[in-house]
Amino acid sequence: MRRTSRLVTLSAAVCGVLAAGPGMAHAQTITASNAWARHAAAMGSMEKSGSMGNKMDTMAGDKGGMSMGGGGTGAVYVTLSNTGSQPDALVSAATDAARTAELHEVLKEGGVMKMRPVKSIPVPAGGNVELKPGGYHIMLLDLKHDLKAGEKIPVTLKFEHGGEVRIEAAVR
Amino acid sequence: MRGFTVFGALRIATIGLLLAAALVAAMATQRSWMEAAQFKGAILTPVKPAADFTLTAQDGTEFRLSQERGKVVALWFGYTFCPDVCPMTLSELLQAWRRLDKSGQRFRIVFVTVDPERDTPARLREYAKGFGGGFTALTGPADQLARVRKAYGVVAEKHVVAGTSAAYLMDHSAFVYLVDPSGQLRVMFPFGMTIDDMVHDIKLLLQ
Repeated sequence: MRRTSRLVTLSAAVCGVLAAGPGMAHAQTITASNAWARHAAAMGSMEKSGSMGNKMDTMAGDKGGMSMGGGGTGAVYVTLSNTGSQPDALVSAATDAARTAELHEVLKEGGVMKMRPVKSIPVPAGGNVELKPGGYHIMLLDLKHDLKAGEKIPVTLKFEHGGEVRIEAAVR
Repeated sequence: MRGFTVFGALRIATIGLLLAAALVAAMATQRSWMEAAQFKGAILTPVKPAADFTLTAQDGTEFRLSQERGKVVALWFGYTFCPDVCPMTLSELLQAWRRLDKSGQRFRIVFVTVDPERDTPARLREYAKGFGGGFTALTGPADQLARVRKAYGVVAEKHVVAGTSAAYLMDHSAFVYLVDPSGQLRVMFPFGMTIDDMVHDIKLLLQ
């Protein structure tokens, strides 16, 4: 009896310390999922670019990917979730794959698409925001190399309250 | 009272006749009425010939819209610097093309740049290659491009915007314009239309 209760107390104490440890440092309220990226000149789709019924001007064995030696633009998309009780916002993004990464939104006004840089992308408390084509996205400017489908590019996201989150965007 | 009276029957008959008349009238103007129910995209009425134009394709050859009679042409105005809206639309059009199989031989995707400053034929060549080909990318003198845009009611504005390292951004209309095999402008696909709906409408136009 005595030994068991001491064991229980000890285990509880250890668990308590383990749980408190990371909790005391920083509660991670922002999570990212479904991160993907595309080069501006790319299908960016899950469909394989395999055999096309009728080829018009495809190059034999062309696997796609703009061979301009970098310098192009691209976009990164991701779903951000905020499990915290206060609203948060994505305020910046950075990646080694491009010289600049900016936050953009796309406004559709009377059939005219307008892309505009934004200072931040809000992530509501207890909610999420989806960066997707035709909407919010992280624009990559002056890519250092052409993005190839299947490649994974690391991107660091900075939040107003939620600290930093690193994602691996899968290039489609 | 008793359900079935002479007046009651007359009323039903009259309504029936009116409905039949309406149906006949509708079928007489069959095309526009039936079409309104059939197309997924936005129908353009009255039907007018698609404005003809001549521009330069990515391989340096001359492209003239009226040479495409017999095919359905999907016209899209965009620019290669655009990382989001344009690639998405082109990708969907190309996927729609694939799903057409054999009838896809009579379907042509034509991309017209609104940004001739950046989009030279060489750049358009590389851009098209990135998608695995499958579409014609056109450029030309700025005033010629402006005339084509005006003919199709396409808006394109250059904006120098603060807060971005991009030299400038282009605002542009995001509709795909569909020309039928007889050269008439028939349908517009709004941005965000599904691939299945695109295939549906293209097949209708190919009939």
